[in-house]
Amino acid sequence: MTAYNRRTLLVGIAAAVLVGGVVSYFASTCPDGLEKTQEDLGAAEPVRPPLDVPPVAFQEYNLKWLGEGFWANAAAGIVGSLLVLGLLLGVGRLLRRRRPTEQS
Amino acid sequence: MHIASGFLSPPVWGTMAAAAGAAVAASLALAPRALDERRVPLMGVMGAFVFAAQMVNFPVLPGTSGHLGGGFLLGILLGAPLGIIVMASILAVQALVFQDGGIEALGANIFVMGVLPCLLGAAVRGLWLREKPGPLTYAATLTVGWLGVVAGATGVILLLWWSDVLPRGVTLGQAVGVMAGIHAAIGVVEGAVSAAVVRFVLAMRRDAVLGPVCAEGGKEAVP
Repeated sequence: MTAYNRRTLLVGIAAAVLVGGVVSYFASTCPDGLEKTQEDLGAAEPVRPPLDVPPVAFQEYNLKWLGEGFWANAAAGIVGSLLVLGLLLGVGRLLRRRRPTEQS
Repeated sequence: MHIASGFLSPPVWGTMAAAAGAAVAASLALAPRALDERRVPLMGVMGAFVFAAQMVNFPVLPGTSGHLGGGFLLGILLGAPLGIIVMASILAVQALVFQDGGIEALGANIFVMGVLPCLLGAAVRGLWLREKPGPLTYAATLTVGWLGVVAGATGVILLLWWSDVLPRGVTLGQAVGVMAGIHAAIGVVEGAVSAAVVRFVLAMRRDAVLGPVCAEGGKEAVP
């Protein structure tokens, strides 16, 4: 990996860890725009049985075994960011292999 | 504005899943041409950043919060196909691992928070790629970014209305009014944050933002 790409990854991961792991702990806990609208309209309850995936490791944005404090939230932010990063690096690498005319 | 599970009716979520599936398939087909070795890491870290940023709910009106969508800024930085792939990945992880957005509503959520804002972002992308982005670039970014959020919010209400889950006595117009009103405030933040992030990333990684088509002349400028 080139130094350029390594630095991109390091700066990006640092930003994601800071925002998702630390700043998000201080986020507002009020309902978001859609939840608030549904509450105001009296339509907040699901009308069909929800199809949610069972919370295996994370309960909303908290790591289950750490309760609901700073570290449970930090774990969710960091693990979630890294999951997205890993998924996209994998997809990106696969797609790049299919590039028709490789010039660079 | 992730639609939770249990609200959309099967015909509605089925239609939206098909529409979003088609958009993601088209994006995957177009993506190889838009990818070079510098864009893969940029795509990855922008996805991680937008996921993290979506966790930061900021207060908008009394008792109400909002968070960044991020599709708009991804559309500007990466173009529509890569932006849509990034948003679809984020929304899938949120639905599968964090119970944020219903599984059956994933297509609808990808359409409203991914396809729509990414296309709008791609529409103003050209302005940012000029030598010197001027007041027009900022004005267009703030306006179109705002529009994307309000249009997405209106779209969500239309889907709920089409699913027939608005309570009796609530008209479509009233519901759109409440939803779009709140998101008119959120959209201002979306536009401003998008402009700031795009400006920052463009200053740091201009050639990765330009991509393989335009970067040929600028290669030696890279450290």
